[in-house]
Amino acid sequence: MPDIHFSNIEKIILTLSTLACLGSFVYEVWRRIRIVLRGQGSLPFDKIGARIWRVINEVLFHKKVMGQRFWPGLMHGLVFWGFLVFGLITIDHFAIGFGAPLFSKSFHHFYSYFGIPFAILALIGIVSLVYRRFITQPVHLGKLSPTSGLVAVFIVVLMVTYIIGEMDISPLTWKINWWLHSAMILAFLWLIPRSKHLHLVLAPINIFFRPFTQPEHTLVEIDLEASEEDLDNMLASMTQMTMNQVLDVFSCVECGRCTEVCPANRGGGVLDPKNHFILDLRQPLLESGSVDVLAQLNIEAGWECTTCQACTEVCPVGNHVEKSDEIRRSEVLIEGKVPQEYQKLFTNLQETGNTEGASSSPLAESLPVYSSDMEYVLWLGCFARYGLDPDFENSVRSFTKILDVANVSYGILENEHCSGDPPNRLGDKLTYSMLREYNTELLSEVKKVVTLCPHCAVNLEREYAKYGNVNYTVEHHTQVIKRLITEGKIKVEKGENGKVTFHDPCNLSRMLDELDAPRMAITSVTSDFMELEESGRQTLCCGAGGGLWWKKETQGRTHLVRAEQVVKSGADTVVTGCNFCYGMMKQGLGPLTPDGRSEISVKDIADIVAENMVSNK
Amino acid sequence: MPQFSVSPDGSWIQETGLPFEMNESDNYALEEALQIREQMGDSEVVIVSLGPDRCQKVIREALAKGADRAIHIKEDSPYETDPYSIATALANTIKDEKFELVLSGLQSDDLGFGQTGVILGEILGMTTATLVVGTEIQDGKIKVKRELESGWFQWQTMDLPASLAIQSGLNQPRYPSLKGIMGAKKKEIKESSFAEMCDIDGLQAFNGLSVQRAEKQTEMIEGTVDQVVNKLVDVFKNEIRIN
Amino acid sequence: MDILVVLEDKNGNIHRMSQEAITGAQQIGSEFNLSVGILAMGSNAAALSEQAAQYDVEEVLTLENEHLNHYTADGYGAAVAQVVTNENPKYVFFGYTYQVRDYVPRVSAKLKRPFLNDAVSYSTEGGNPVFSKQVLNAKLVTALQPSDGGPILISFQSAAFSSENIQSGSANARTISVDIDAAVIKTVTEDPFQEEAGGVDLSSAELIVSIGRGIGKEENIPLAQELAKVMGAELASSRPVVDSGWLAPHHQIGSSGQTVAPKLYLALGISGAIQHVVGMKGSKNIVVVNKDPDAPLFELADYGVVGDVLEIIPKLTEALK
Repeated sequence: MPDIHFSNIEKIILTLSTLACLGSFVYEVWRRIRIVLRGQGSLPFDKIGARIWRVINEVLFHKKVMGQRFWPGLMHGLVFWGFLVFGLITIDHFAIGFGAPLFSKSFHHFYSYFGIPFAILALIGIVSLVYRRFITQPVHLGKLSPTSGLVAVFIVVLMVTYIIGEMDISPLTWKINWWLHSAMILAFLWLIPRSKHLHLVLAPINIFFRPFTQPEHTLVEIDLEASEEDLDNMLASMTQMTMNQVLDVFSCVECGRCTEVCPANRGGGVLDPKNHFILDLRQPLLESGSVDVLAQLNIEAGWECTTCQACTEVCPVGNHVEKSDEIRRSEVLIEGKVPQEYQKLFTNLQETGNTEGASSSPLAESLPVYSSDMEYVLWLGCFARYGLDPDFENSVRSFTKILDVANVSYGILENEHCSGDPPNRLGDKLTYSMLREYNTELLSEVKKVVTLCPHCAVNLEREYAKYGNVNYTVEHHTQVIKRLITEGKIKVEKGENGKVTFHDPCNLSRMLDELDAPRMAITSVTSDFMELEESGRQTLCCGAGGGLWWKKETQGRTHLVRAEQVVKSGADTVVTGCNFCYGMMKQGLGPLTPDGRSEISVKDIADIVAENMVSNK
Repeated sequence: MPQFSVSPDGSWIQETGLPFEMNESDNYALEEALQIREQMGDSEVVIVSLGPDRCQKVIREALAKGADRAIHIKEDSPYETDPYSIATALANTIKDEKFELVLSGLQSDDLGFGQTGVILGEILGMTTATLVVGTEIQDGKIKVKRELESGWFQWQTMDLPASLAIQSGLNQPRYPSLKGIMGAKKKEIKESSFAEMCDIDGLQAFNGLSVQRAEKQTEMIEGTVDQVVNKLVDVFKNEIRIN
Repeated sequence: MDILVVLEDKNGNIHRMSQEAITGAQQIGSEFNLSVGILAMGSNAAALSEQAAQYDVEEVLTLENEHLNHYTADGYGAAVAQVVTNENPKYVFFGYTYQVRDYVPRVSAKLKRPFLNDAVSYSTEGGNPVFSKQVLNAKLVTALQPSDGGPILISFQSAAFSSENIQSGSANARTISVDIDAAVIKTVTEDPFQEEAGGVDLSSAELIVSIGRGIGKEENIPLAQELAKVMGAELASSRPVVDSGWLAPHHQIGSSGQTVAPKLYLALGISGAIQHVVGMKGSKNIVVVNKDPDAPLFELADYGVVGDVLEIIPKLTEALK
């Protein structure tokens, strides 16, 4: 690098343009931060260590970005790491312009041994990404974006001008090159907050503040004795976004992964999470400056969501994408606009405490009644209790058989009411609070609960705890089975079930964070286990979540997408850990199994374990 | 669906433990009334219901959905089954208020008479229509779309006051909003009694109530395909009478 | 006459359900020694009377009036009430049609006489017929006790009697008239019209032919459509047929589709999963054809056939034509 002097005029121009662009950058970022701070609630600072570690993992190590889409993820990584390396260099670059360089010439030259290879890698990265964006055009990235093109040009020019700047060239060429580089930086500064490239600044912050569990929505606490004014305030707050939600909108990088994994979207529905849950809010937030914009969300899309949280799970910048809770609760509590089949569901729950409006349960009557000297309350859930799929009764009995063999005492609660998952996810927070209060009272003296239904487990354990104290522990039956096998309380041997695969229920994998127990159980009873293509935390919802089991006239094929994958996998048996998944698999596999192929067997974990139990003696 | 058993005195069914809900076509009638009110602007929707105390739940539901006030004609078991007596009680209750429109469900799903709304209209000198699947207010009259059999329909223009019996499915009934539910508690429910309101002798009564079919006996039809087909045709034409 | 049967006009012919009412009148008339008369009214009164005169009844009354040329509840209600007052029969029979639902309660209220609607059967008590109707969605049945002191209006459910049993013969003819003030008619009707069958509301269908996976493949659907057409039935299906894309969603019956209660539910190749059963278990007559003798739906069937639907459907269609 030659000896360069900047004239006073140049310094003035540099100062003014830097101030202007930096000022604009700060103003635009601050404008958005201000809107974030108008949001409800506050940003979380608990578990700081875990939060910092998550930022390091997901931002520095690009865990999610490369995890889902490896090669584009890696290319993006090269650009990103390039940016990190260039941080200091860029500051030094401007310092030179002011005549006060940070680095000595020799240090600057030494740094270029890192800088140039990174610049080349970054160039490779950005050129591959440009090719993907503009030539391949993956559908989920959406319409072609001139901003993306512009940013690509900026990055390429920046890398090239850096490399040129380290070469032996005439002072004039060097200076022109220098000004070009500076112009790119300043233009970039101007562009960042006005585009999705704001994620450069906000993604690490958003990932830091991301909730640890999902789903996470503001609580709707209903006090039927409240004054009209209090009620109005509560209803008004329902359409207001939280700080975290606003931050999500400004952090969104528009990658479309959320839409790509959405079961409703893949089933041919209208729902497009990227737009319907996130981007549709951006303009309203910016234009009004107010966070009271949730009423603008697309209602039809809102009713299609299965609340499976695949979108939230996959988002690389830490967004809690799903907003069906916000949409539905407004429609139910404020507008009174509820699809007819759900009205019936809510009325049944209010009248009888169960989803079917039934007055008795033969299954419940055939099981022992809980008394306080028993170890577990066996929580049945409406699906099993009222035979939403009559075959599932066998699975309940498989589990009780396992408990009997292991000498574990259990009983059912005669007055068990619906845990409230359907009204909770469908927006009827009033019916939900009635059920929740009833069950909380019913469980007040209980210590341990086990259930076969992950939806019940999520509500009894996690959701109820958000509203008040919960003094009992809840286990999913697969967790109990795992423990009984590990402790040798039951003995199993590997049997013949053909090729066995496992469909992770979304409520179990993503909401209860349980992946291992079912797998441990299955691999104890078969040696021919294979994973489905989207498994574990990336599981594809069966389509029954979010109250959609009760939905009439399905327009899309949400309920068939996962069944199709099971058929394609070549499995002979699909095991699952949720009664809804069980019912959906039974319904979906039949029509999709091609002629000549034998029927795919659907089992619950309890079934396959009970079938392969051997005598303890 | 719960199984019904006849009460010990043979007058009706055992009600203990059964869940009750608003009669389905009444719900559609209510929604139609609320929509007409929204259209008209300056009008009131009043609920009238005859029955025991448990009716209050359904009345409150209607108030929560947006009706303005209600009248509850209280009646204890054994309940009146004669539609003429019921219509008389209703007519006596509302005659002084001079309603322009009376909407009722096409029929009650328990007794299935389908007459109350029409008889009420006749007693009060109103025009009447049943199986109404559409309404339009038009300068001081009401135009209704009636369902005829086999996919045929007919519009007719009727003078007010009119009593309409509404068929299920003509609109999308709303769900009560939270504000509606809480506001309903403060709305007026005037009470009277059936004995006061019905000043005549009944025209018909139930006499001998029994469960229709306790067990299903399946008749299996066997034989060659031709024999089976012949038997099926015979069953369709002569036993089931599909004509 | 003791029993007066009021006819309904179907485009110049006696409505099938009126024929059934005549059959019932003849049957009850002969059993209880009651004479039968028929009333024909409206713009086609003459044509209806001519047809009615071929039945074995005592007399046929013809009523023409300008206010009866178009049906209105106002006009028909007033007219029938007057006729009944003048003729003073013990019973007045109707078929329980949509038109009868619309105006006969007016007659009942004008005369202050009971209207026993939707009667399904009768029994004898003390030398008199006692009529019964179904309540609670046909789960229970009750006998009705009308009050004394005048005519009893009764309408019969479709197929309570079979018009095949109608007795022919001859009848006396009589022309009658009524006095209807123009001011009584406060309703103006327009011409009836038919609507697009898209999204048929199966819940009001009388006859349903329903197919399940036993239909095999999409190419076989027209066979079922043909059968439905010949029977005058609506076509419906269980969920797998819709899921496979062979029929549009509005055909689906079950917990996530429509709920139906037709007079006849013909289930072809449907096994009877609970999600389907909840949508059709209220059907009055269930006929099940399935090649699996253990199909759960047989438990709900009134008539069952263990056989191949693909063999049975075309032959059944032919036989019904």
